[in-house]
Amino acid sequence: MHFIEVENLNKSFAVRKKREKGHFTREKTIIHALQDVSFTVDEGELLGYIGPNGAGKSTSVKILSGILTPDSGKASVGGLTPWLDRKNHVQRIGVVFGQRMQLWWDVPIVDSYQLLKDIYKVSKANYEKRLEELVDALDLESLLHTPLRLMSLGQRMRAELCGSLLHSPRLLFLDEPTIGLDAVSKLKLREFLQKENREKGTTILLTTHDMEDIAALCSRVMVLGHGKKLFDGQLPDLLSRYDTLRTIRVRYNAPPDFSALPESCTLQKEGDNYIITYAPAKLPTAEIIARLQQAGRMQEMTAQSQNIDHLIARMYREMDL
Amino acid sequence: MNTIKLYLHSMKMLLKSQMQYPWSFCLQTIAQIVMEGGEMMAVLLVVNRFQALNQWTGGDLLFFFGIMSITFYLTECFGRGITGNFAALIRSGNLDTFFLRPRGIMTQVLCHAIDPRRIGCIAVGVAALVLGCRQSRVIWTLPKIFLFTEAVFFGMLLILGLFLIEAVFAVHSVKSIELVNAVTYGGRSACQYPVDIYPGPLRVLFGTLAPFGLVLQVPSAVILDKPMMGIDGFLAFLCPLTGLLFFAFMYFVFQKAMKYYRSTGS
Repeated sequence: MHFIEVENLNKSFAVRKKREKGHFTREKTIIHALQDVSFTVDEGELLGYIGPNGAGKSTSVKILSGILTPDSGKASVGGLTPWLDRKNHVQRIGVVFGQRMQLWWDVPIVDSYQLLKDIYKVSKANYEKRLEELVDALDLESLLHTPLRLMSLGQRMRAELCGSLLHSPRLLFLDEPTIGLDAVSKLKLREFLQKENREKGTTILLTTHDMEDIAALCSRVMVLGHGKKLFDGQLPDLLSRYDTLRTIRVRYNAPPDFSALPESCTLQKEGDNYIITYAPAKLPTAEIIARLQQAGRMQEMTAQSQNIDHLIARMYREMDL
Repeated sequence: MNTIKLYLHSMKMLLKSQMQYPWSFCLQTIAQIVMEGGEMMAVLLVVNRFQALNQWTGGDLLFFFGIMSITFYLTECFGRGITGNFAALIRSGNLDTFFLRPRGIMTQVLCHAIDPRRIGCIAVGVAALVLGCRQSRVIWTLPKIFLFTEAVFFGMLLILGLFLIEAVFAVHSVKSIELVNAVTYGGRSACQYPVDIYPGPLRVLFGTLAPFGLVLQVPSAVILDKPMMGIDGFLAFLCPLTGLLFFAFMYFVFQKAMKYYRSTGS
């Protein structure tokens, strides 16, 4: 029995078009937000959920968190069906939306937390212990008596995270948690999530467009497109499918002689630098380096893999998303 | 019990957040007193000009006005979650947040807003009621106090029920605000006066469809010792229960609408 089990989940929305001239009724288009999506997640996993806008990520998060009822299919989280057993289910989950605040806007955040304590019926002792832990980990001590509206985006995000974890949920949904955050805030947030996952064993399901989030946090990644599951596995495996080209950037002391360079690689000149692009599957890296050394005395050389965002963009293109 | 505790806690916090802007609060409260005071002046003018309306004296009219204002604005003050803008609740995504918390949706809707500025209108209502009682020489007895409390309480439920109509329409993404305002705010304006001065259709509307007549006015008439439509005694104590019935029905419809919301998505 897995912690989360999803089987053949389907959900479609009817979107009405604008009424055309001369027609009495409006045409409806059906959008299939999810089509036969199945997967399982074990307790303590940190799963990344990616896909272009409109792929069905938010819909599946909404179904798994109990906001939406699917058209068909089964889902269970820790033995409960989210949309049938809403109250018991949400007692055990926490949800954070990167673009929407759930705490109260005009009051000090500590007041919000006290109300959340009542909403989730957390005992006083547990609340105090947990709040201290979270305030410590999220560095909120100096902000506890500040209203949410006076905080920066990064501070708000930390405050939201604290609020969603006060009742010690076993499962945490994060919908684009790092959106709009600066580099320092992002790093801190990731560090916190890793710690929460490792030390408390909290299962985390994360949707994001930031591939750095996935690379830094997730052991497993799932790609969704047009409502279908397209990939489920480890990030390096996903990348290796699309990461077919490498580039080497070299600079020589004297003008080099590239006559020995194989034809299968391409050569570009950029100022004093030469950029060589090749496919490591066809041409071993060791060989190309040997040939580059033959071409002249190298002053500097860097090898780079492609930028993750480019890879994902290519993947989306190839999957026709 | 736990729900009531949560409600009180929420109200306390919301009040605190309103008080973050004390000047705005003061000015708006004053504006409301002026507005509601104007309505009371209208009643006073009618009384001055005509002395009486059918069997109702000036004091009686003030009493009707007072009980309506108190009931309506108490509801708007403490039930702001429902009487406020429900469509905005859906648009902003707040309703989704309510589904993520282990409490009833209706509880959370009620817990999410308060409108303390209405205290000004309530004060005007109380003033009208006191003035009306003095002019009509109402003698308060224990049953009358009970009847008054009962009428106000079930009147509040009735008003909440009427506003729920708007919420239900909003879930089905139908704009209904003007239509529903006709029975809510329109009902308040019309039923500041005893319904038996109106022609038949209006009497039916506010007697059965939006039963302000039964919930608020039949008890008021009994308190004034001038029973309306011949309803007196034990029956008068039963009439306000129509407010509860109305609310219960709308509560049921609202729950259905919430099911619909979850299956159609946003």
